[in-house]
Amino acid sequence: MDGDSSTTDASQLGMTGEYMASSHYVLHPQDDDGEENMNDHEDGGTKENYREQDIYLPIANVARIMKNAVPQTGKIAKDAKECVQECVSEFISFITSEASERCHQEKRKTINGEDILFAMSTLGFDMYVDPLKLYLQKFREAMKGEKGMPGVAVGESLGEDLTDDGFANPLPAGIITADGQQQNVMVYTTTAYPQIPTVQQIQFS
Amino acid sequence: EEEFVLQAISLPISRVRLIMKSSPDVSSINQDALFLTTKATELFVQHLALTSFNNRSQTEANTLNYSDLAKTAEESDTFHFLTDILPKKILAQDYLKTLEQMQDEDSDF
Repeated sequence: MDGDSSTTDASQLGMTGEYMASSHYVLHPQDDDGEENMNDHEDGGTKENYREQDIYLPIANVARIMKNAVPQTGKIAKDAKECVQECVSEFISFITSEASERCHQEKRKTINGEDILFAMSTLGFDMYVDPLKLYLQKFREAMKGEKGMPGVAVGESLGEDLTDDGFANPLPAGIITADGQQQNVMVYTTTAYPQIPTVQQIQFS
Repeated sequence: EEEFVLQAISLPISRVRLIMKSSPDVSSINQDALFLTTKATELFVQHLALTSFNNRSQTEANTLNYSDLAKTAEESDTFHFLTDILPKKILAQDYLKTLEQMQDEDSDF
């Protein structure tokens, strides 16, 4: 499907664990009947699970992003939402492992932005790198400019390891808040910035 | 003066950090790295959802299914790392039917 030949083969990346052949099947005992589940994530035990951690991002957030990505008339099945929820954790781990490895190779202890961008490039997500650099630049500018820009405030200095406490500083309404739950982190600015490229403008070949 | 939303991050950063920390040998993550990972994750969800939707096997249904995602993971270089966690599912009844067919074919010889 993609023309790029970047390395996403797990065995070449030196990832531990068996790399499964692509044509394998899991028996699913019955049709999905779409019954509502109170849990954030349902693992009915019908999928083979080779991952250790089971930490996911909230399904509501994930589902919302998916809904906004597909055409307006499109629908998303429940098992697709749960599936992407798992894929997200896999993606984060995928990137983090690679970034962490590079970090260790260079005898550093803290994973920085460059490590993340490099990891993405290495793992076949180089199409994200330019938009991400732009987002980061805007984010930094907004964070830095608390003096002359009413409406923008920052609770901690850049470059420090981010903790949950760091987000708990009281801030003017509508700025960065965090309570560890589902949240919208909004950065407002009074200066007009050039249009940030949206996802639709990225070539997803 | 215009005041508008520069960017909204719609995923909980603290949860992203938790997932990152669960990777072996990760000691600390700086703010840039956390922000970039969170933003990238948004892009990833959009990318995976849209690609799978456009690639879906049942185009008339207008619904994105698990099987569309599994298909995309298998066929795409970018999403191939997901094949481990996205095995193709088949209904048990279909599997049994296939088994029967195979046995019928064998008995012809």
